[in-house]
Amino acid sequence: MSEYGLGVGTVDIRSAGPIAFGPAGILFLADNISAKIFAVDVADPGPDAGSEPFDLENVDLRVAAFLGSETDDVVISDLAVHPRSHNVYLSVQRGRGDGGRQVLVRVDSLDGSIVDVPLVDVPHAEVTIADAPAPDDDRVDITLPQGTEGEELHIGERTIRILRQPVRTSTVTDLAYVEGALLVAGLSNEEFSSKLRRIPFPFSDDVRANNLEIFHVSHGKWETAAPIRTFVPYDGGRSILASYTCTPVVHFSLADLTPGTKVVGRTVAELGAMNQPLDMVSFTQGGEEHLLVANSAHGLIKIACRDIDRQAPLTEPSEPVGVPRETEDLQGITRLANLGANHVLALQANDGRLHLRALKTASL
Amino acid sequence: VTRVFWSHRDGEDCLRIEGVGESVTVEVRPYSAPAIEGLPSMAGRLVRDDGSADFVPRFAFAEGTPYSVVVGGVDVAVLTRPRPDVQATTEVIGIFPTSTEVPRNLLRLYIWFSAQMSEGYVADHVRIVDVGGHEMVGVLLPSEHELWDGGRRRLTVLLDPARIKRGLVSHHEVGYPLAPGTSFRLVVDDTFCDARGIPLRGGAERHYEVGALERRRVEPDRWALTVPSSHTKEALSVAFERPLDHGLLTRCLRVTDRGGQLVDGAPEVAPEERSWRFTPREPWVARPHALVIDPLLEDLAGNSLSRVFDRDLTDAEDEPVEPVPRTIEFCPR
Repeated sequence: MSEYGLGVGTVDIRSAGPIAFGPAGILFLADNISAKIFAVDVADPGPDAGSEPFDLENVDLRVAAFLGSETDDVVISDLAVHPRSHNVYLSVQRGRGDGGRQVLVRVDSLDGSIVDVPLVDVPHAEVTIADAPAPDDDRVDITLPQGTEGEELHIGERTIRILRQPVRTSTVTDLAYVEGALLVAGLSNEEFSSKLRRIPFPFSDDVRANNLEIFHVSHGKWETAAPIRTFVPYDGGRSILASYTCTPVVHFSLADLTPGTKVVGRTVAELGAMNQPLDMVSFTQGGEEHLLVANSAHGLIKIACRDIDRQAPLTEPSEPVGVPRETEDLQGITRLANLGANHVLALQANDGRLHLRALKTASL
Repeated sequence: VTRVFWSHRDGEDCLRIEGVGESVTVEVRPYSAPAIEGLPSMAGRLVRDDGSADFVPRFAFAEGTPYSVVVGGVDVAVLTRPRPDVQATTEVIGIFPTSTEVPRNLLRLYIWFSAQMSEGYVADHVRIVDVGGHEMVGVLLPSEHELWDGGRRRLTVLLDPARIKRGLVSHHEVGYPLAPGTSFRLVVDDTFCDARGIPLRGGAERHYEVGALERRRVEPDRWALTVPSSHTKEALSVAFERPLDHGLLTRCLRVTDRGGQLVDGAPEVAPEERSWRFTPREPWVARPHALVIDPLLEDLAGNSLSRVFDRDLTDAEDEPVEPVPRTIEFCPR
């Protein structure tokens, strides 16, 4: 793992966020509280997987039982499938606040058994993703604190207490590895900007994440800089389909994403009113690449990549909008990951419980 | 089994089961876990010692949670992990903006708490209600990604941008989340738990009235500076042309001296976020100074110095300008 710049140590996760696999079975894990992304060698012990599906009912109950918690005290943030063994990794928060524990769980794809992935004395690397000012930057947030925090400032007879601390964070909403770089979409808790970070991997000492300012033009008339909620690389990493917090689905060519330039994407679809994109994945069916979009209002949406390439930018805010799509009658899906070539693994809410279900790509 | 009780082993909490044979299986499960096939038992290690067994969990027992002890496949005891008697002390210390009137295209609100809060429970405890107290469903951006600061004391709440931005389907079909001339309240429930899992001391709310749309860039040219006297520690006072975003105001304004060095002091955002005061640590000197404004600074509707939030490409007034810091020079008298 030395070729990826990993060193042995403790992966100190303060909040378990989105996860995605990179090269050589390295798992990227976003931690929104400490504003870091960790690259962890998970040392997956499983044999090479075949092309079997994998289903596990009540995965939330199983994880909660393993962690010794009520299900209400367990939040499954994200899932990823190990590309070789097909073991399923879940990023999990157990409990609340400081008393909470962040756990990376591995579900065995052969028997459904659950273990926690060691995070102490394991090969890993980390990179800071905060937009917050660096320690040597004067522009820290200065707030007037409550109680006894901060420092006192005496001005004549007045005493003012000030607190210098960054309160700005960038919450990672999605991440994906494409050819030597990690692409990270984030949501700031202050300005409503649209940034996609490109972080070279292996992480280097002088890592400068390129912030790519991303715009989309809606219906030919309105320009928007809104945060990307979820995205998926496709076409061998040459294209990206991104979905925004305000629902348009936008195509970018990765080659256009040059640091320091304003990138305008082509709006190719709308997901409909009062709808939130949740996750996307690409898969091949009949020799052609397709994308699946999990969303909050409808069933799983399937889009053919060749239709994206053919789609002219949208010009009218009327229905139906954008690329042809099929809506599968699969409700409650919040997360998606490829499970080999023949299946997509979905995390699906049903009857108040969460289940892992393999969807056969030939039948989608 | 003769006895089951909470104990310690090598400084770690454990469950001690006395009177258990060497070859009998011992498992611990949350009492609420249903009997489904293949359900794992709680992770931990079992240390056997002369007719007793200590179960040391890998993940600490959760306070207030009942656990079943299963010996040889039979439930032998249910014990609830005690919850320390702690008082509710955390409260809401501020809801921003503090101006009563907000633009119709209001984009975000901030809630400050006095102590660290729990994550993952915002949707059930923070809501917008109308004048009749009914929840206005679909006004807030539904997001599984909660926007906390690093200390989990400040929460950012976004209104659904798809309903605010023109040209999007939600805006077209459902319209703005807020109607002009109406009022609403942001409500924080007292059942919202802090990081210890303890509810707030009390709920909190703030009342707002909805004004007109705001679709102009922030205009520092229209700000009014009250310049302090030299050799004093009087505050520099800056009055804005409209209320600005509280979160961004804390970091987007700074004062520099002639050499560009930061002047140390205490900034204060005045009520209603209509003005800002800066009191220096050392007395002012009678030389040129500058108020430096980060172009990221936004108003309540997300319009910044460089761009309008919801840009009409056919309107030349909406053209974005270069996002570079702006300066307003002043010289203490």
